[in-house]
Amino acid sequence: MPQFSRRKFLLSTGWVAGGVTALYALRNKAVAVAPTIIFPDAESGAAWIQIKANGTCHMFFPRVDMGQNANTGLAQIVAEELNVEVEDIDAARPSTSDVPPLAVTAGSMSLTAYSRPIAIAAATLRETMRERAASKLGLPLADILDDIGGFRAAEGPRLSYAELVDNTSSMVEFDGNRPAPLLYTFDAQRDKRQVGRAVKPLGIRDLVTGAPVYTADIPVAGILYGRAIQPPVRNARISSLETGDVANVAGFIQLVREDEFVGVVCKTPGAVDAAMTQIKVTWDLQQPIAQEEIDRLVDVDAAMAKGDLEHILQDEAHRKDIDWDIDLRFDVQVQSHAAQEPRAAIARFDQFSRLEIWTGTQDPFGMKRFAAMDTGLSEDAVVVYPQRLGGGFGGREHYEVERDAVRLARAVKQPVKVQWTRKDEFTASRSRPASAHRLRIAVDEVGNLSDWWYGYISGHVVFARERLPGWLLPVARLADDMGVVKGAISPYGAPHQRVEYNDVDLPIDLGVWRSLNGAPAIFAIESAMDELAVRQGIDAVDFKIAQMHSAHPRLQNCLERVRALSALKALPEGAGYGRGFASGIYDGRCYVAISADVYVDAQAKQIKILHMCCAQDVGMAVNPGQLRAQVESNLVWSIGMALLERFEVADNAIRSSNFDNYKIPRMDDMPSLDIEIIDQPTMPPTGAGEVALVAGPAAIANAIRRASGFRALRLPISFADITANSAE
Amino acid sequence: MKLKVNGVEREVEADWRDESLLTVLREHLDLPGTRFSCGIGQCGTCVVHINGAPISSCLVPIKDVAGKDILTIEGLVAQDGSLHPLQQAWIDESVPQCGYCQSGQIMQALALLKENTNPNDADIDNAMKGNLCRCGTYDRIRKSIKRAAIVMGQVR
Repeated sequence: MPQFSRRKFLLSTGWVAGGVTALYALRNKAVAVAPTIIFPDAESGAAWIQIKANGTCHMFFPRVDMGQNANTGLAQIVAEELNVEVEDIDAARPSTSDVPPLAVTAGSMSLTAYSRPIAIAAATLRETMRERAASKLGLPLADILDDIGGFRAAEGPRLSYAELVDNTSSMVEFDGNRPAPLLYTFDAQRDKRQVGRAVKPLGIRDLVTGAPVYTADIPVAGILYGRAIQPPVRNARISSLETGDVANVAGFIQLVREDEFVGVVCKTPGAVDAAMTQIKVTWDLQQPIAQEEIDRLVDVDAAMAKGDLEHILQDEAHRKDIDWDIDLRFDVQVQSHAAQEPRAAIARFDQFSRLEIWTGTQDPFGMKRFAAMDTGLSEDAVVVYPQRLGGGFGGREHYEVERDAVRLARAVKQPVKVQWTRKDEFTASRSRPASAHRLRIAVDEVGNLSDWWYGYISGHVVFARERLPGWLLPVARLADDMGVVKGAISPYGAPHQRVEYNDVDLPIDLGVWRSLNGAPAIFAIESAMDELAVRQGIDAVDFKIAQMHSAHPRLQNCLERVRALSALKALPEGAGYGRGFASGIYDGRCYVAISADVYVDAQAKQIKILHMCCAQDVGMAVNPGQLRAQVESNLVWSIGMALLERFEVADNAIRSSNFDNYKIPRMDDMPSLDIEIIDQPTMPPTGAGEVALVAGPAAIANAIRRASGFRALRLPISFADITANSAE
Repeated sequence: MKLKVNGVEREVEADWRDESLLTVLREHLDLPGTRFSCGIGQCGTCVVHINGAPISSCLVPIKDVAGKDILTIEGLVAQDGSLHPLQQAWIDESVPQCGYCQSGQIMQALALLKENTNPNDADIDNAMKGNLCRCGTYDRIRKSIKRAAIVMGQVR
């Protein structure tokens, strides 16, 4: 886009004139890695950094906040480049009218994709300001030295940014034709002041004082309350609808029905609860919702017995009929996001039929477009104010609670707030699919891998039904589902290898869940490799490192480091104790190794995780404190996935409905933790949001193997699984 | 109908008298710092103190607390804006990730430290196991409680 039209665009957005503004865009890179859902846009990721007329630095955060606090890291980069304190940056969360379209926040991509463009923009801005300082002082550029919040002459006065700007606007854009400015962020020799510091999440005071930060906290005058019925699955059709005595519920205002959409609006949340108890819907389903049906659909053995699977990821000198040293099937069940915040949205139409939406979403610009399509408004008439999410984990990318609020607000011509119930969350959050994995491995006479055959079936992830328009799905599904293929290619080498998969529709709605198929696939691979080491009577860590054949030095290093870290704490002696290791690469760029110490307590009949260690290579560690926090979070999720989270369906309904019947980790499930963040100052940041989860469940399963002899083939693992096995 | 919230007497209007305490705090009394998560008292997100005892406010009909003393997260900040030692400890340890559960965590921890000025790990497990944090900030919550206990001990 030529510069003049960018400027024209800025004038129509939230940009404030004055000072110097540096534009940056991710362009093609953003389209490749994380477009807004369905609607990639060449301008995705464009934003700007500005030294305003009063000398302060302003930036719009390009990512939504959902607990990963990536914007804090990006602000640190701007602060490093501009020689200011990160806390002094005037940073704002943009509405969809403030900035050009931004990409969806997903894929642990924030630091990987944004760190360099943001550093270039900020450094370009800094060098432009340096030219101004040189011209103002009549000195050569080389004599203008960095100073806090501005510059100083080698011998002479100090000039703050405020002294170099005024109310006239100036626009700079790094055009790629001139040499790139020196990027302080990526300068390994530099003694950095902002990058590499454990800066606290920006806005943390609001989070401990109960300030209004989530969607449902936003005060809107004249608000009413609504809720829509969530079908058990999105392709269900209403077979019958009874509305009982809803009209007589105190505070009831209106029942709204549009095709399969049924909702109510009331004066208070309690009235909504009461009204909903009056409404009974029976549904026509296209598939029975039953565990047996899910098991049948992901039966990898049945599919492999019939021949090739549909998608082949790796096929080198494959041999089918040999004696396998490992021939195991691993099953991973459905899991729910179960974010702490049940999603919420507020919709308001103003007198000019413009629509405002407040919502915590991973994809604000996707919401804007879907709301326009849903209402028939032009996109210009819709503005989305993104709010902090009370957890995302991949489950907050779709126009859903927003749709509920928009349709109800339109019907009653007043602003409406909708917050899903916990049961709605379990029913409709588009869970992580069930999957089944057949691993066949053979070793040669000296114990090196000779043959590797990995076939698996997973429910769809990115191309799940009801995630894309119906007409697009069959076309999309000809390609690999980037969610289903995550984690499938192992880091181990074998001369004969084949990796193949099918992706299938399941009877429940599916979607993106933390690490996608990374955690299920790597659970299977790392369990199988561990079992192979056990059967050969060799050390599993040595074996895995050797079988990587120097192809993954960063992963090998993680394994060595976590072994050393775990050795600092002795495993208690005696029956029932075990230590396991696992490692993995997420998305080809993030490296992690984990150890787990468990105690299989035969008397208390429970599996207790005592201690976990993690070594994660994060590339350049922009904010070690927040990286560590993401590792902690992934370790807790590993415990949930390995031992606790059991999603249940039966009788054509989803039975998991709340935290009493779907257990997630609690304080007393916590082991002690030892975490090493491996900083590689010369390498780009790798991202961390969903990385350690790929190795955690296998580390726990491998520890249980050593503690009890039981090889877990199915997650989650219960104590009863272990005793049933030893009784056989 | 009146209740006393964070030391201030508040009137609950007629339309709101069939609601839960949580709903009244959030939607009627402009105190949105206490948050809804499970609705059945299984997660601790909406914990407030009623006459000094920690209780999930989603389960409490507003009628049951007429005239009682309610303390919410907003009530922990002093008039001059200074934070309670627990809130400060939560910042010092950088506890929050998404942050949604933290009001309830802090209120539950406050109740623990009132009973036990020097809790060990088992005491913390026991007191805090009803408070879920999906982001998994438990390790930092544990450290923060111990940090606050030291500070509060010195103040006493």
